[in-house]
Amino acid sequence: MKKLAAIVLIPLFLIGCSSEQTIQVAGITTDEEKRAEIESLIRDKKDVYTGTAIMAEDEVLIAIQVNPWVGFKEQKVEKELQKEIEEKYPELNVLVSSDFKMHWETQKLLEEEDEKKVTDEVKKLKDLAKEET
Amino acid sequence: MDPQEYQQIEQQNTPPTPYLKNCLKAFLVGGIICAIGQAITFLYMIFFDFTDKTAGNATVATMVFIAMILTGLGLYRKLGAFAGAGSAVPVTGFGNAVVSAAIEGKTEGWVLGVGGNMFKLAGSVILFGVGSAFFIALIKLILVSMGVVEW
Repeated sequence: MKKLAAIVLIPLFLIGCSSEQTIQVAGITTDEEKRAEIESLIRDKKDVYTGTAIMAEDEVLIAIQVNPWVGFKEQKVEKELQKEIEEKYPELNVLVSSDFKMHWETQKLLEEEDEKKVTDEVKKLKDLAKEET
Repeated sequence: MDPQEYQQIEQQNTPPTPYLKNCLKAFLVGGIICAIGQAITFLYMIFFDFTDKTAGNATVATMVFIAMILTGLGLYRKLGAFAGAGSAVPVTGFGNAVVSAAIEGKTEGWVLGVGGNMFKLAGSVILFGVGSAFFIALIKLILVSMGVVEW
């Protein structure tokens, strides 16, 4: 029984403690340099453990998940990242969101090949993120 | 027998309250109710266009609705007897308070009985919620029009 508990609990504990960030950036038409730059910008934020960026034409949607310990600062991290990216690329239409729904939907969009579909979906998600009611 | 003596005898005969056990029960049942609420939030987010911010309202409405049906079927009473505050503190307790008061007044007729009793327990909560929301919105409107904060 003790052995079984150890087998189950130790991996859980180790996974829970891992501080590895998973940053994924997808964009069919965007150049490699821009993608790498945005990835490094997200990676610089130590509180972010999952970041997914979808780039389609001028629209960029970045979904982040922050560490549970800094959950209360979620919106602050969101705003900081948004400001940094906007300063660097004023021509892009960026939205950084820490919403779980955005995380889910962007994960789905990572696989999507059709450029137009991605653009439409990103626009739709941005509208959804601004919804208050 | 003087009052002190009586009190002593009373205390000796009262069975001890199992505080720890009650707390554990309330903790578990309250936690399970909250876990169900979280699951409903995720369902709304997966299958409908709800976000973290907007799914809350729909979840609360659903949880209250479920609690109301359970109260009507007489099941929530059993849960309440078992878990105590664990079933009363989450928002489901609100649905229970409305419907159980309505059922209680049913013998006195529909209007004076059900209608008059329905909000006996929960009415103050609703009034306080609506009233405070109105005043906070008013304060925010004033602050926004003065340019202190943004919407």
